[in-house]
Amino acid sequence: MKIFSAAALFVALIIGGLQSVTALERGGVMSYGRYTDSMFLDPVLNDANVDIWIMGNIYDTLIVPTDDGKGLKPGLATDWSVSPAGDVVTLKLREGVSFSDGSAMTASDVVWSFNRAKNPDNGIWYFLLASVDTVVATDSSTIQLNLKYSDPTILAALSVFNAAVMPQKLFEAMEGKTDAEKAQNFGKNPIGTGPFMLESWDRGSVMKLVKNPHYWGVGEDGQPLPYLDGVTFEVIPDDATRILKLQSGGLDGAEFIPFARVNELDADPEINMELYPGTRVNNVILNVRPELNGVENPLSDELVRQAMNYATNKQALIQVVTYGVGTPMSSFMASATPMHSGDSPLFPYDLEKAKSLLAESAYPDGFSSNILIIAGNQDGVAVATALQQMWGAIGIDLEIKQVDNASRTEQYRNGTFTMRTGGWTNDIADPSQISSYYAYSPTIDAVHSGWKSDEVDELFEASQQEMDLGKRAAQFARIQEIFNASGPTIPTYETPYPVALRDVVHGFHQIPLGNNVFREVWLDK
Amino acid sequence: MQLIRFIFYRILHLIPTLLFILIVVFVLVRLLPGDPASAILGDRALDADVERINRELGLDRSMAIQFLAFLKSVLTGNLGDSIHLKVPVMELIQKRLPVTIMLTIMASSIAVFVAVPLAFVAALWRGKAGDIAVRGVFQVGLSMPVFYLGLILLTVFGARLGWFPVGGYGDGFLDNLYHLFLPAVVLAFSLSAILMRNLRSAIIEVLDAEYVQFAKGKGIGPGMVLIRHVLRNALISTVALFGLSIGTLLSGAVITESVFAIPGAGRLMVESIYGRDYPVVQGMTISLAVLVSLTFLLTDLVQAWLDPRVG
Repeated sequence: MKIFSAAALFVALIIGGLQSVTALERGGVMSYGRYTDSMFLDPVLNDANVDIWIMGNIYDTLIVPTDDGKGLKPGLATDWSVSPAGDVVTLKLREGVSFSDGSAMTASDVVWSFNRAKNPDNGIWYFLLASVDTVVATDSSTIQLNLKYSDPTILAALSVFNAAVMPQKLFEAMEGKTDAEKAQNFGKNPIGTGPFMLESWDRGSVMKLVKNPHYWGVGEDGQPLPYLDGVTFEVIPDDATRILKLQSGGLDGAEFIPFARVNELDADPEINMELYPGTRVNNVILNVRPELNGVENPLSDELVRQAMNYATNKQALIQVVTYGVGTPMSSFMASATPMHSGDSPLFPYDLEKAKSLLAESAYPDGFSSNILIIAGNQDGVAVATALQQMWGAIGIDLEIKQVDNASRTEQYRNGTFTMRTGGWTNDIADPSQISSYYAYSPTIDAVHSGWKSDEVDELFEASQQEMDLGKRAAQFARIQEIFNASGPTIPTYETPYPVALRDVVHGFHQIPLGNNVFREVWLDK
Repeated sequence: MQLIRFIFYRILHLIPTLLFILIVVFVLVRLLPGDPASAILGDRALDADVERINRELGLDRSMAIQFLAFLKSVLTGNLGDSIHLKVPVMELIQKRLPVTIMLTIMASSIAVFVAVPLAFVAALWRGKAGDIAVRGVFQVGLSMPVFYLGLILLTVFGARLGWFPVGGYGDGFLDNLYHLFLPAVVLAFSLSAILMRNLRSAIIEVLDAEYVQFAKGKGIGPGMVLIRHVLRNALISTVALFGLSIGTLLSGAVITESVFAIPGAGRLMVESIYGRDYPVVQGMTISLAVLVSLTFLLTDLVQAWLDPRVG
């Protein structure tokens, strides 16, 4: 009987396995509802996630982040190596790659693209390739990067969107005197080596991508990728309309599902409610300078910050704001970040401890403060209102100030804010980016908070040239330990990317860095 | 001849009005806290990058020099490029403004089509069941938020019954009209309520006027009396109200465009203000100002036709 059951199971597994291969269908156009439109499809000069997160479908990088966002896999390069001293990177280019217009991708396109990306006059992402001194094509299929210093982040940096390969000749043939003018024209009809190419773009409404017939990737069935004939992005800013259209079959997928609707869509038998792990962290950033507007600043007192942290019921925030979808933070960086350390929630809610810490501080009777939130932002209002109550319990009187995003950013940049809600998503599969902005003071004064730790600054600088993975992980562990204990933030929760897909959609994923990957999507028609 | 002179002077008045709007918008948008680079780059950009990008955009120059440069380009028909979308502002206006104009025309047509007959029903059967029912329904129209009514219509006529698309704008003129029908109904609902109430009161007033009684006494048929004497006179104040409501209709279009995912000028304007995209805000404001001014001109012309004393 046992033998029979085992044989039946074996057959079932084989059949199941075969079905998953044979069930794959080619063709069709996937419609995807976005909350807002892209702005500028240039890998180097773009500056917003609305571009970054879909650009990987048009352009390719030499190296690509893995689906979990922590590792790297081959893209336009099939193989790579770093010299023992860490100052030379050699990459072997994939043979026979063409741009979507049919022209061949050459080593000189790669050299030109990298030189453009690392030019400090171009956009804001050049710093990711700051260690690159020269880029050379040693032969038609080998690229060599000579670095100014050993750079442990260089391979991850080569997987970031700004290191995408663009066609030099087509770009330079564009009308315009400067790089920016040429990019403006090139961006209207971008040509890359990615699985899709732009067919039409009715700004603010519909963007149509169609399959790139020259794409190098091969599917499970041995035929060229992508499986889809195209992807149509429909811009539907209103959450309720986007969901309604998805539920009525007008869309195959929709992004940015409000957390309040996640459970409802999860219960819909025709919809797969996906929560892709992200690197999104949410927090409250505190200005910790000793004085604010000529007055002594209570937030500069570490005991006060710890008291506020313990008085913050994160689990309650997660329930109230994210409807249980969020998770508590165990470090200031997301748990999907490489070298993240910490396995228990930071500052678990403890009102008594909060009260005693505040009693020990220079402000035992509490104080008045204020928080900047974006006007009309529901999550911001919910967080601030909850904090008002939670901190009121230890004697902190919180005023909520609603302003528009640009006004908030200005007060934040010039260091005149008191508190603000904040958030972060990584662009690179490495802990250095968030650490640079949040903890390393020379970059932007630790998220403009005025916080500074000499030890963190030294550790960070050392980590940027440390080629030993173990030592580097230890450096980041210590940076996190210091920041988490005394840093200028109230960590609230991590959130995934909520994407709702109709059950006919297979193979879609959003990686922790946010990239929407349609390369291997197929529709069960 | 008198009419041509009237139109000529009204257009002449438009020039200082537009110049004033131009200056106000140019200054106001720059007085708002924040700048285009930091508005869009948010937390990630370094201060040096923000300064460099704003310098590249010429925003480090004095406001007077910036204004002169702007005025010069406006006079040559160039409204500049969008800072964030990297396309000419003129191109954006040409794409997005007609959508909002079409939506507004459809909404106002529906509003008039609904309001005029119902105003007659309510006025002629004053205080009776028909009057109470019509006024009751429109009271709801006046008090219901646009986004809420929009969602109800989308759910019922879009998702459930499938008679209309669930948002979007469609391809081609007829498809565009089809997509714009539900949002136009939403916009028309509150406008028709305002028009209906105003017209009802005006009709009641005119019905009691001596010249109407005189016309009836002369033996003119009741239908003719209603159209030639009652409607024409009652419409004078309603047309003025209608013209003034166009501005409100355009601002209502912002929410309607978001709910129905219509790529109109309202949405673009709001996004551009948030992003401090100065050239787009300036260009759109000028266009909308011209549009509203032309509507007022048209309203005055219709009023002058209805009542020669106005001209």
